[in-house]
Amino acid sequence: MPADAPRLHFVSDEIGRGAGPGPRHGGESNVKLRDNDHVVGYVFAAPFILGFLIFTLYPIFSSLYYSFTDYNLFESPRWVGFDNFEKMFTADDKYWKSVSVTLTYVLASVPFRLAFALAVAMMLNKAFTGIGLYRSAYYLPSLIGGSVAVSIMWTQVFGDHGLVNSALALIGIHTDTSWIGNPSTALWTLIALSVWQFGSSMLIFLAGLKNIPNSYFEAASVDGANAIHRFFKITLPLLSPIILFNLIMQTISAFMTFTPAYIISRGEGGPLDNTLLYSLYLYRRAFQFYEMGYASAMAWVMLLVIAVIALVLFKTSKYWVHYEAKGER
Amino acid sequence: MAAGKTMHAPASGVRAERRARAFSAKPIVYHVLVGGLALVMIYPILWLIASSLKPNDEIFANAYSLIPSRFAWENYVTGWRGFAGNTFATFFQNSLLISVVSTIGAVASSALVAYAFARIPFAGKGFWFSCMMMTMMLPHDVTIIPQYVLFAKLNWLSTFKPVIVPQFFAVPFFIFLIMQFIRTIPVELDEAAKIDGCSKYGIFFRVVMPLIVPALITATIFSFYWRWDDFINPLLYLNKPELYPVSLALKLFLDGESLNNWGGMFAMATLSLVPILIVFLFFQRYIVEGISTSGLKG
Amino acid sequence: MKKAVASFLTAALLLAACGGGGGSSSSSTDNQGTGSPGSGTASSGSDKAPVTLRVAWWGGQSRHDYTLKVIELYKQKNPHVQIETEYASFDDYWKKLAPQAAANGLPDVFQMDYSYLSQYGGRGQLEDLGPYTKNGTINVQDINENTLSGGRIDGKLLAMNLGSNALGPTVDPQILQDAGITLKQDWTFADLDDIGAKLKAKGKLIASDLRHDVYFPYYLRSQGQHMYAADGTSLGYTDDKYFIDYYTMYQRWYDNGYFLPLDKLAQKKGTPEDDEMVLGNAAISFSWSNQYILAASTAKRPLDIVPLAQWNQNKPLFLKPSMFFSIAKSSKVKEEAAKFIDFFINDIDANKIIMGERGVPVSGKVKEALKPLLTPDQVKVFDYVSWVEQNSSQIDPPNPVGAVEVDKLLKDIAEQILYKKLTVEQGAAKFRQEANAILAKNKK
Repeated sequence: MPADAPRLHFVSDEIGRGAGPGPRHGGESNVKLRDNDHVVGYVFAAPFILGFLIFTLYPIFSSLYYSFTDYNLFESPRWVGFDNFEKMFTADDKYWKSVSVTLTYVLASVPFRLAFALAVAMMLNKAFTGIGLYRSAYYLPSLIGGSVAVSIMWTQVFGDHGLVNSALALIGIHTDTSWIGNPSTALWTLIALSVWQFGSSMLIFLAGLKNIPNSYFEAASVDGANAIHRFFKITLPLLSPIILFNLIMQTISAFMTFTPAYIISRGEGGPLDNTLLYSLYLYRRAFQFYEMGYASAMAWVMLLVIAVIALVLFKTSKYWVHYEAKGER
Repeated sequence: MAAGKTMHAPASGVRAERRARAFSAKPIVYHVLVGGLALVMIYPILWLIASSLKPNDEIFANAYSLIPSRFAWENYVTGWRGFAGNTFATFFQNSLLISVVSTIGAVASSALVAYAFARIPFAGKGFWFSCMMMTMMLPHDVTIIPQYVLFAKLNWLSTFKPVIVPQFFAVPFFIFLIMQFIRTIPVELDEAAKIDGCSKYGIFFRVVMPLIVPALITATIFSFYWRWDDFINPLLYLNKPELYPVSLALKLFLDGESLNNWGGMFAMATLSLVPILIVFLFFQRYIVEGISTSGLKG
Repeated sequence: MKKAVASFLTAALLLAACGGGGGSSSSSTDNQGTGSPGSGTASSGSDKAPVTLRVAWWGGQSRHDYTLKVIELYKQKNPHVQIETEYASFDDYWKKLAPQAAANGLPDVFQMDYSYLSQYGGRGQLEDLGPYTKNGTINVQDINENTLSGGRIDGKLLAMNLGSNALGPTVDPQILQDAGITLKQDWTFADLDDIGAKLKAKGKLIASDLRHDVYFPYYLRSQGQHMYAADGTSLGYTDDKYFIDYYTMYQRWYDNGYFLPLDKLAQKKGTPEDDEMVLGNAAISFSWSNQYILAASTAKRPLDIVPLAQWNQNKPLFLKPSMFFSIAKSSKVKEEAAKFIDFFINDIDANKIIMGERGVPVSGKVKEALKPLLTPDQVKVFDYVSWVEQNSSQIDPPNPVGAVEVDKLLKDIAEQILYKKLTVEQGAAKFRQEANAILAKNKK
């Protein structure tokens, strides 16, 4: 009964491609339908597949179609072929500006966020009464989301008479720069906001750390390994699937960041377009200029870029990610 | 510290304990560092809460001080009043309904799908996995128009359905998250169960599920909070004010052309934090306890 | 634990199967019957077939509250009408409206803004109100044609003006007096040099800033020019000297420190409490007449509204419709929608609730009826707008499609000039080139 043979249980590569087509159903009388991997697989995956077909496929294809049209939402889309893409790449300064702003943002915020999240998760991976409060304190910033309240608060912190400047004054640096309003520093206040809200990655790391059985550490200490060894030989490898997850998800979400930029620059993307993140520019073209075709083109370029990056991350992950499920690579 | 409870004391705790026995400064250093940083983290939120208790004209005029000149509880009263007969009681109820039901659906369905992707080699798996990743990578703004048209055709406008129902068809983020957790479980466990006569379904319910509780809890916390804070979908689909959740109602407070009740808005924003905080506080314990079921070595 | 999880999951799946979610039945623009036969007067009668009307607007909490009261009043007088309301803040409102338009499901009556009029009106989304004004459903006898013209595209009345506004700076007379400044009755922008210097000596600013997309076109009008060409396919002025003159002035004021530095301006929330004049740091707030009331009540000290600079050169002032109500072309209850609009602008009781919050009422009769009820500040505004009516010329036609982009372009270039990344001359040329490229798309 090859369908159930243990050897076929492994995932042949990180992207989760199934191992071959498998035996055809109906060939053997003693293969029960409920044990056939393909059927079981589809039963379990049904919620996603159905949802995808019903709710997502149409919107995705529509947006792909729109990207080749001139569509202002009121009149029917008008086919223009690759015009949108051409204009985007060759005739739109703001487009490239938004690309460079977004790249800076991603390259700066993702590593910081992950590093902080892991460090804090390890610090909070204890059990004493009150640990819940500490965890809540670190998680609270990400709970507050992206409301107007946040933007006002952030201005209070980074504005010209804000907390940061008061703190600097305490150590003797007197300045009344508005970090938020100054073109050279505005993006960094956004990055700071993103890092401040690292709570979600922290939580995931925490859950991952909890999943590492304590016996491993005990065994290692008995063998004479010190804290650094334990971190690099046990924690990191066993945490690596989670690190991969956080890395990919944080990168994707960093590319698609919209709300913080919108609320802090009040939709302007300023000053001097230095906070014009890609999604903000996309939103402007879609909902303020009513150029849904152009915006869709932008969206698909973004999707391709992210997909390539995710693919690279996946492919290279086999060099550093370790799955406990033996035989998985 | 958790001396003696080695079963629950995790990696860094063990390390810290050892040194704690050597010299007792470590716990103090820990609390100072971690606690201090925690205060810095929550300062902006303390500012928010303080502002909710300040009279309106003081909020910006006196922005540095975290102490209000007097406790303006009336902000909570005026804020709670909401709009035109719909108090925040209605809005909170709506938010709760949306968040709770969506979360149940999202976590349950995502776990099922994650198991398929992580453990079952079925034809087309790679294709569907790519589709799933793709839905996460496409900026939302360009799909909302066709999505809206779709829901309009289904006649689901002005109901909770467009906001809640799609959650029951699995959420890619959670699928991926749970997948990675499942992959930390050794396959030998599956095989052992199979030898005992378990089908794939049985393996799912009896072997995998209990072991990924931390992931499920995490997904629950996220789902609740995301649904709670989501305002784009309510904005587009919940046209009647009596259906508005808190997230949308908060946005209604502000407008550049009128005199704003900042105090009221901050008050309601503060209140809005309470349920998600409670959910977090309650569930994060279980992330800890999840470890008690991973005593399967040996 | 495991059994619990299993049954929990099963329950969840069952819930999923049932389709989840509660909520009331869907709304639709279908009505359950035709509206009452067309007639000018609002009549009540339980013999009428029930009608459902969807009404949408943007605003803040106070506007939501009082508008709902007005709607209550309408329902009292028209018991057969059910009204469903949708409201949001300005930005969210347009984001919400867009998909509705795409799905052919715009509300029956919805608030419209001058800057979006071309987008919606020029693309067949708005119903022509002309027939309703002619047959008296919407009574416009007490309304000045000038006031109506703001809602016309190609001669068709596509949006009904809800209130008039005019540019009218709010000033703090105390600050001006302390600095020894007396504003001439017919002051001009050039006077700002002197005013600025005197204010600076007292540590005050002139104002936060002058909004580029409002005051540059205004300046053009004062020079006999227009921002956009009549057919909307290019800029309305051909000589760059106007741009250069205006922005040379602006740059001088900015460099001399009469306005707020840009980085401090960027952190402003854009609300009345945040304005430099209200905070006491500046003498003037360049704004619209309806913002005067807000400023006065926020500042809590005597303020004044004065004619905008250079009003005497080529009559650049104009009456702007602060906002409109339009009827969706896809509406199935247009008759009732028109009656609602008529109620909103003409009914005295309704306007006693509105009290000019959406601008000075357009109907002469309503203005008369409200006069005795006005606060002194409101009287100032009404009077100012009346004065503008006598001292203005017709408003420029609605901004063409692409104007939103051009406005943004202007602001960007102005910023670059002020940050010294471009000279004024370079800015002028760049603006012309890029704006014309945007507007050229309107060529048919």
